[in-house]
Amino acid sequence: MTRETETGHNLWRMLAPLTIWALHFLACYVAAAILCAKYPQITDLAPLRHLIFLVTFLAVAAVAYIGFSTLRIWRHSLDGDLDYDHDTPEERHRFLAHVTLMLCALSVIGILYVAIPAAIIGSCR
Amino acid sequence: MSDIHQGQAHVQDAQTERLREVWKNPVGWRRFSEVNNSVIGHWYTATAFAFLIFAGGLALLMRAQLAVPDNDLVTAQLYNQLFTMHGTAMMFLFAVPVFEGVAILILPAMLGARDLPFPRLSAFGYWSFLIGGVFVCGSIFFNAAPTGGWFMYPPLTTDTRQSGIGADIWLLGLSFIEVSSIAAAVELIVGVLKFRAPGMNINLTPLYAWYVLVVAGMILFAFPPLIVGDYLMELQRAFDWPFFDPKRGGDPLLWQHLFWIFGHPEVYIIFLPSIALLAMIVPTFAQRPIVGYSWIVLSALGTGFLSFGLWVHHMFTTGLPSLSLGFFSAASEAVAIPTGAQIFVFIATLALGKVVSSTPLLFAAGALAIFVFGGLTGVMLALAPFDFQAHDTYFVVAHLHYTLFGGMIFPLLAGVYYYYPFATGQKLSDHAGRVAFWLMFVGFNATFLPMHFTGLRGMPRRVFTYPADVGWDWFNFISSIGAFVFAVGFSVVLIDVLRPKKQRPDADGNPWNAGTLEWLAQRDESFGMRTIPIIRHRYPIWYQKNFVQDVREGRFYLPDAEDGRRESLVTSVLDAEPEQCARIPGPTFLTLFAAIFLGATFIFATYHWWISTLASAFLTLATVLSWLWTGTGEIPEKQFRDIGLQRRVPLYRSGPASTGWWAMFITMTGDLTAFLSLMFCYFFYWTIHTDFPPGADGRNGTYWLAGSACLVILAWASTLLARRLNTAGYPAGVRSALYAGVALGILGVLAMLAGPWFSKMDPTANVYPATVWAIVIWVAVHTSVGVIMQAYCIARAYAGRLTARYDMEIWNVTLYWHFACFSAVVALATLVAFPNLT
Repeated sequence: MTRETETGHNLWRMLAPLTIWALHFLACYVAAAILCAKYPQITDLAPLRHLIFLVTFLAVAAVAYIGFSTLRIWRHSLDGDLDYDHDTPEERHRFLAHVTLMLCALSVIGILYVAIPAAIIGSCR
Repeated sequence: MSDIHQGQAHVQDAQTERLREVWKNPVGWRRFSEVNNSVIGHWYTATAFAFLIFAGGLALLMRAQLAVPDNDLVTAQLYNQLFTMHGTAMMFLFAVPVFEGVAILILPAMLGARDLPFPRLSAFGYWSFLIGGVFVCGSIFFNAAPTGGWFMYPPLTTDTRQSGIGADIWLLGLSFIEVSSIAAAVELIVGVLKFRAPGMNINLTPLYAWYVLVVAGMILFAFPPLIVGDYLMELQRAFDWPFFDPKRGGDPLLWQHLFWIFGHPEVYIIFLPSIALLAMIVPTFAQRPIVGYSWIVLSALGTGFLSFGLWVHHMFTTGLPSLSLGFFSAASEAVAIPTGAQIFVFIATLALGKVVSSTPLLFAAGALAIFVFGGLTGVMLALAPFDFQAHDTYFVVAHLHYTLFGGMIFPLLAGVYYYYPFATGQKLSDHAGRVAFWLMFVGFNATFLPMHFTGLRGMPRRVFTYPADVGWDWFNFISSIGAFVFAVGFSVVLIDVLRPKKQRPDADGNPWNAGTLEWLAQRDESFGMRTIPIIRHRYPIWYQKNFVQDVREGRFYLPDAEDGRRESLVTSVLDAEPEQCARIPGPTFLTLFAAIFLGATFIFATYHWWISTLASAFLTLATVLSWLWTGTGEIPEKQFRDIGLQRRVPLYRSGPASTGWWAMFITMTGDLTAFLSLMFCYFFYWTIHTDFPPGADGRNGTYWLAGSACLVILAWASTLLARRLNTAGYPAGVRSALYAGVALGILGVLAMLAGPWFSKMDPTANVYPATVWAIVIWVAVHTSVGVIMQAYCIARAYAGRLTARYDMEIWNVTLYWHFACFSAVVALATLVAFPNLT
């Protein structure tokens, strides 16, 4: 059984985890920037921090979903080996899945990193 | 040409002769009409190096000035020009263009293509770069160079009395050069995705091409914010619109945001392509495939994305909320992970291979050592509290030169030694290379290592002199000596490159015994690849049997040019299946003229000669239209082309299957980024002001703007209808729909300008009217360009060159209108609705 050309994992799916990282980053930055600039008198940032934690949870969940579904693709590959040095659509599919999986890990680290300041910094100053 | 004869000697000779004839380079004064990637790539690279030497000379003058305390070699004013031009020229005229030049030079051969998809665009980009670069650099000889630092912070640079014409030269000259960078990005992305040799699935693509893809994508998202910044700052300088003037509601910090949203990814835009050269060099000298191909891809992509989350680490001391600083600090630390991954991959490849010692590898090793050191100080600076202390001191100067030398100059010089035989057929001297390396390595460290200490001892950047008794003198003296030692080392390379050479490396043109495709290209022949091969492995020269011979004897695709046309293969994005035979345009002067007129437009604008500016803009438009009319959307004489090995592919594709559609899509992605940056400015002012938009005054002119939005939507719908009618085969309906589109578009533009005009918004009074005008003008210009495109389609339809079968133009114009309509609706809806919401 062989894979049809141009089917399976593609470049857009590969970019999804990093795109989620970017959206999460923007959401945290924009929320904090607006709140701190528009309402400088606010001292209790608890609502903002909870919002950031919620967004972080959603982002990690979304990346985890992509990660686990990619893992399944990768495990159920058609010829079962771990190399992808050949010019077949199947190996290309598996290669992109592998890169996506690693990018999921990187994205989760990036997302959690960005959430750390919200956990330890409690004011706009 | 039947396949049975493919490969017989006399047939081969006849084929080669035809290819030669078709790809012949123009001679004499016609050389300036050249578009072939190998020639343009040479010019591009050589010009970038010329600017490097210029900018390096400025650095030596600075080091001579700083060698001893209280020196008066140069004046403070000249010193300001020196450091501004040094940074500007290195970043904009060397680092980015040299990436484009090298990529244009080697990428087609690496991908197994005969040229890039849009060679005329490459030529246009080159001429734009040359004209803009000479204009910006020339200013220093007239004492008119910019003086505000390479990042041009207002309010210093918006004060026309303090900054003079230099700031205008910077803004307009570099905006012009940014055009060439975006042109190159479009060219390179389409090249990597659609011009790979058949069988070169995306998992077999050379790593250099992966990096090029990522970097070109980054250019699309990084350069547009700077273009918007330039746009706003020039409006302020030329017409006194107060975007960065706090007295009238502006904010200098906005410039810093726009600049560094560009500026930080820029660092990676120049770093990644040089590291990409290492990814080609290291496997060759380890004589084995790279270890962890997918890790490199992960690293390139990860760095590319994360680098956009770092811009505020240049602004840690501007008083932003500490929570915001935390986000950027965290992202700055995170980017070390993918950046580090590629370093480990190189080390692992060397550790597992049989290392062949050589000059390129020596430069590569030096690069890794220096870059790791610079990376470590980067991790320090990413911590906000440390940055508070070291900000604007020589510590930062030391850090950035360590990363850029380690990440950019040394890998690039490794690339020069490695690819010199590819580019010229001759090898540089190994002996001189080693001497040069050690002089440069020692000189570099002597220059920049002491700067860490001068910085920690408090020496600020950009001071033209310093007193004797503060403990900076010996460090500065050593730095200055180091700089000249480095310059001697670089001169050795330069002399070696320029000296006449006779010997040939070896017969088959692969002196390093490399495995990748580019070493097959025939440099004596302007067609490059004798035939477009089928790829089965990442290192085909090492692992595919009889590969070199089969290519040289023309046993693969397109071994001939029997139609007398320059051709290459278009393949599918993921699996590189042949999809089309692309006819590639040949030499023309139009690209040169277009660049000259566009350059004149920017240069005249610098001096506020508005009539000449308008005339040049009109000539640019006319030239571009004639370029499009004569050079694109050609209707082939037959439907299919026999490409050999019993395959036939179409000669004409349109819509998403064509390279032109992708080029439009990519260009418009960059354009959309610019538009969103402009909208970011609107909301930025909203966050910092309580009266932005200003109550009832903000609601003036909303009926005009709302009406304009409706008209633009209708103009877009007409274009879409025209495309559908064209596909369905109603030529009269197509023309009517396009006429309607033109009328609606013009009315839409007039209505949107009428909004602020009739509500008497004075853009010089306050930042709100200025922002409204800036957005409206932006959208009006884009809609007008859309109207010109519709008119172009009408003309094509009357000329019988836009038909149901040959419909590339209407597809691309509709795509443009999707973006233009989206921008107009978002902009106008914001201007109409937002004042009512707040």
